[in-house]
Amino acid sequence: MDDAVIQSYEKQAEALEGSVAGMDDLRAKAIKDFAAQGFPHVKAEDWRYSDLKTLRTKAFSPANHAGETPDIPKAFTDCAARFVFVNGRFSESRSDMGDLWQAASVRPLANHFMANPDRAAELVRGRDGVGMLNTALAKDGMVIAVPAGVEIDDPVEIIHIMTGADDCAAHSRHIVELGEGASVHIIERFIGDDSSYWTNSMLQARVTESAKLYHTRLQEEGANAIHTSKAYVNVGAGGQYHACNLSLGAKVGRFEAYVRLLSDESNATIDGVALAGTGQSHDTLTHISHTMPHTTSDQIFRTVADSRGKTSFQGKVTVDKDAQKVEADQSFKALVFDRTAEANAKPELEIFADDVKCSHGATVGDLDAKAIFYLTSRGIDPVTARQMLVEAFAAAALERIEIEPLRDALMARVGDWMAERKAKPIPENKSRVE
Amino acid sequence: MAGTAEAQKQVQDVTGEYKYGFVTDIDMDMAPKGLSEDVIRFISAKKEEPEWMLEWRLKAYAAWLKMDEPDWAKVNYPPIDYQESYYFAAPKKKDGPKSLDEVDPELLATYAKLGIPIREQEVLAGVEGAAKVAVDAVFDSVSVATTFREELKKAGVVFMSISEAIREYPDMVKKYMASVVPVRDNYFAALNCAVFTDGTFVYIPKGVRCPMELSTYFRINAENTGQFERTLIVADEGSYVSYLEGCTAPMRDENQLHAAVVELIAMDDAEIKYSTVQNWYPGDKEGKGGIYNFVTKRALCKGKNSKVSWTQVETGSAVTWKYPSCVLAGDGSVGEFYSVAVTNNYQQADTGTKMIHQGKNTRSTIISKGISAGKSQNTYRGLVKVMSGAEGVRNYTQCDSLLVSSECGAHTVPYIEVKNPSATIEHEATTSKISEDQLFYCRARGLGEEEAVAMIVNGFCKEVMQHLPMEFAVEAQKLLGISLEGSVG
Repeated sequence: MDDAVIQSYEKQAEALEGSVAGMDDLRAKAIKDFAAQGFPHVKAEDWRYSDLKTLRTKAFSPANHAGETPDIPKAFTDCAARFVFVNGRFSESRSDMGDLWQAASVRPLANHFMANPDRAAELVRGRDGVGMLNTALAKDGMVIAVPAGVEIDDPVEIIHIMTGADDCAAHSRHIVELGEGASVHIIERFIGDDSSYWTNSMLQARVTESAKLYHTRLQEEGANAIHTSKAYVNVGAGGQYHACNLSLGAKVGRFEAYVRLLSDESNATIDGVALAGTGQSHDTLTHISHTMPHTTSDQIFRTVADSRGKTSFQGKVTVDKDAQKVEADQSFKALVFDRTAEANAKPELEIFADDVKCSHGATVGDLDAKAIFYLTSRGIDPVTARQMLVEAFAAAALERIEIEPLRDALMARVGDWMAERKAKPIPENKSRVE
Repeated sequence: MAGTAEAQKQVQDVTGEYKYGFVTDIDMDMAPKGLSEDVIRFISAKKEEPEWMLEWRLKAYAAWLKMDEPDWAKVNYPPIDYQESYYFAAPKKKDGPKSLDEVDPELLATYAKLGIPIREQEVLAGVEGAAKVAVDAVFDSVSVATTFREELKKAGVVFMSISEAIREYPDMVKKYMASVVPVRDNYFAALNCAVFTDGTFVYIPKGVRCPMELSTYFRINAENTGQFERTLIVADEGSYVSYLEGCTAPMRDENQLHAAVVELIAMDDAEIKYSTVQNWYPGDKEGKGGIYNFVTKRALCKGKNSKVSWTQVETGSAVTWKYPSCVLAGDGSVGEFYSVAVTNNYQQADTGTKMIHQGKNTRSTIISKGISAGKSQNTYRGLVKVMSGAEGVRNYTQCDSLLVSSECGAHTVPYIEVKNPSATIEHEATTSKISEDQLFYCRARGLGEEEAVAMIVNGFCKEVMQHLPMEFAVEAQKLLGISLEGSVG
């Protein structure tokens, strides 16, 4: 990797000294690790489907506050609070604190460790260059702690906006802590303009006994953006992490979810849809660790790749020794629209216990010509027919979102995306030489 | 659960007692210990090879020196000291032309003990009225006997050791060797190119259906030696051949290296069926000793509508690193992979296949069954790749794992990479233990616990076992301890 790039990031980390109470040591260690390792290469197993060449060749400077006030998108539904980050910086004036503060503790990252600097050690450091750099350069983020027994009914929205940020990066770190039996729904949105920026976001959460964390992500970054984000979640007894991710934007996009199921009856449900248009690459990596008996996980992923688009899915489920009676399911289906499109899948099972039921299924193909024919023969035009089929295809991975307006909004995004695709000729009802 | 204990015992029976662990006491010709250009020259001279072969080997050696040992597989073993091994070991032979009658009686006794028919007209032990099987017997570094050559010659089939083929059919060997697995393909393939000592060469001419099953039987005997063999099978237009491969080794405390390269080439409408029962010494119950089996097997379906079918039953070896693959280049070509891998004690197997779809309307089927017991690790690793020009590709993959102890591991690492919309790719994987429901069902119908487990394990492997040629299926089933009555599974 380019030494100048590493040096530039070292300087950035140095400049952040003292910016977040308690984080200096962690920062110094993370940047050292990063300097030693650099950004992951496609030869690294976990990164075989995403090329970070741009990151390796030029350093992204810290993004500044934008001059103009960008429009804040309308909320999908009533929210308990809306937190807005512009170019990686928390913008209090644009945020709506709602009444969340009455039920939960809400603090910016910078103040979080002030009272107890030792707790900074709880921050996830990241295992690859991207994660390490987030640890080294994160300055802003939201820390939301919901006390035991408190259920926040309306979702909490975190909006990341990038504007006029050519060659700039935003590294944010959010922390969610749920007390026993608490619950909250976090909606994360990523939007931006056409500048060539890099969003590097991380969310870490602790879901204790019987708590529930819902996490819906909508990635609609600008067309020239690089988007890398990671979620690290630990789930306690009877707890649940329920995530759904929709990836639409960015040139190179990647979402990683690392979930550790730490006690009986804990569950991870992770769904996702990725739609890759021309020149886009969407990569999703999930790793669910069943460390204890009687834990369950369920994953449904659907991806669509149009011309020169690429979607990838790497889903790993590990079951530790003695973690008996685990049930883990995973379904991945990809559509590939033409010869320049690409779909990759690597559903991986790593099992060290014997009394388990684990399965995964993966399919790749185009829309069923017979289904299109059926719809067109009933007077539906081919463009609409394809759109209907893709919506139905994606619905499987979106329908577990419990908030209806939110689910509808995400479904509508899928429909809109299909409507933008060029009309395609009806495929012949070809019979293959078999 | 009693059923699990039963299943454990059965797998123990399969892999626990190794029946082929004896050593044959015979005078050997050995190369000096270690690996160097001189050793390669020694091997080449011993085998009376032409100059071009030596040069090829030296080039491969130079390439190997610059390569790194792969570390991505889910296997752990201490670093191998390549200088601590012998690269050539051959039973001393008398001068003069070799006929079957002149084969050292010690060797004949060895193969008799292994149940391998080196004398013609014999058939595989235990199978009444079985078809004839031609055998090429490779003992450490050399082929000691090849049977039924005359009869095969009449049909136009060339079946001989690769050393002879280098002398007798140099053009064909030059043309095809390393055309499927390039010299620099991987670390172990490059090593094999530099030091391979023997192996089998098969050529089936146009339109010929090989009149009998061909087989090679590999035996490692000498201490501290590696076995490096090459198999090259060329099936010309419209031909058919079924080829079997078996292997055993003595029980020793140190690990021995086996790094083979197998290349298959199928022309238009040709079909190759390649079956392996791999029963190298797996090491003892504490994981001491055993063979490191690092094998590169690849088939090129070069012609239109050609077909290659790999069937493997993997029960031996301390560490297995093996991915029999098909490059489906010809339009309409078909690749198949059927595998049963059983691991016990401290065995580690990382095995699977690659199906590279290049031609139009190419099809592939992958059925993999892994059974892990003891403290073993069993990994399926496979790739299905569809190139952008490959229209109408169809793939079906199923990999199931059965766990019979709480200390073993079963892993599945499939890769699917598709660049063409007309492809239909399906992949399914499950991991479970024998379900109590299944057991209960069988028991409720009057089956004993043992019978029930046997029936379920038998059923678990059946899809693969039925693809083995009959002669081999008997051996493989014996190996799995599964009798057809479903008594012991």
